[in-house]
Amino acid sequence: MSSRRSRSRQSGVSTEITDAQITDLVSKLQQLIPELRARRSDKVSASKVLQETCNYIKNLHREVDDLSDRLSELLANTDSNSAQAAIIRSLLM
Amino acid sequence: MASPQPIINTPETSTTNPQTTSLPDSDSNPNKRRKIAHASPAHAEFLNHINWTSQSEQQIYSANLLRTLRQVLRRNPSPSTTPSKSRQVRYAADRVLAAAAKGRTCWSRAILSSPPPFNLRRLHRHKKAPDAKKKVTGLRSLRNGTEKRKLPAVQRKARVLSLLVPGCRKVSFPNLLEEATDYISALEMQVRAMTALAELLSGGDSPSGLAAESLS
Repeated sequence: MSSRRSRSRQSGVSTEITDAQITDLVSKLQQLIPELRARRSDKVSASKVLQETCNYIKNLHREVDDLSDRLSELLANTDSNSAQAAIIRSLLM
Repeated sequence: MASPQPIINTPETSTTNPQTTSLPDSDSNPNKRRKIAHASPAHAEFLNHINWTSQSEQQIYSANLLRTLRQVLRRNPSPSTTPSKSRQVRYAADRVLAAAAKGRTCWSRAILSSPPPFNLRRLHRHKKAPDAKKKVTGLRSLRNGTEKRKLPAVQRKARVLSLLVPGCRKVSFPNLLEEATDYISALEMQVRAMTALAELLSGGDSPSGLAAESLS
């Protein structure tokens, strides 16, 4: 792994960020991503984790968009339906 | 009113969020509070983040989302200036999600402070990193003679990631990773909650059977 000692530019204070800290964060991220969860962390490079993270977030965004489509159609028809109003009431209470 | 949350099946297992009301132990067991107070600083920030996998969190989100959506979709605005219903739903879903984060993360604050979508201005979400190749960042480019204009792979991908997570274009790399971690968990909850809502609303012929089903 190449060294990635970076300093936070925006605060003006040079804080040293250790590799161990970054490795830790990267492995936590790796555990979240379904594609990489099963693999051992020393076999997955940080670059791959970042790549898969980006892909995963894009997929999630797309899913949310599709769900928004679906929900907008469903909710447009729902107001007159008493069965669905009952569901809504049970959720809100 | 019958039992308020008949839908929760599994008990709350998280001890990291002391504000969760369904945890009875935090009041009667002071040792748990002390443990949290002595947590190492490296983990302290994570402890402040919401537990996006909890049932109650998803429940609360679904209820808030539904309430918001009914308000949003009931309005009859002029069709020329308002965006499509789908975009309105997406916007509301994101805002309710960001509100659930209780202001503790960069991405949630960025979502809450961004303006509502406007029809004439098409907001393109799929941004590749356009400037990553053009920007020549001093020292790094001089080090490696063959890759003068390209940033290292990790930095390029970090930049793409920073564009995907709202409000994180200028945060430091470790903070970016933390934000991304929290953001992904939140997005997953959003997908679970909206999927469950869609299922409930689309199969709404037998309300009693469906209401008893778990939302997860």
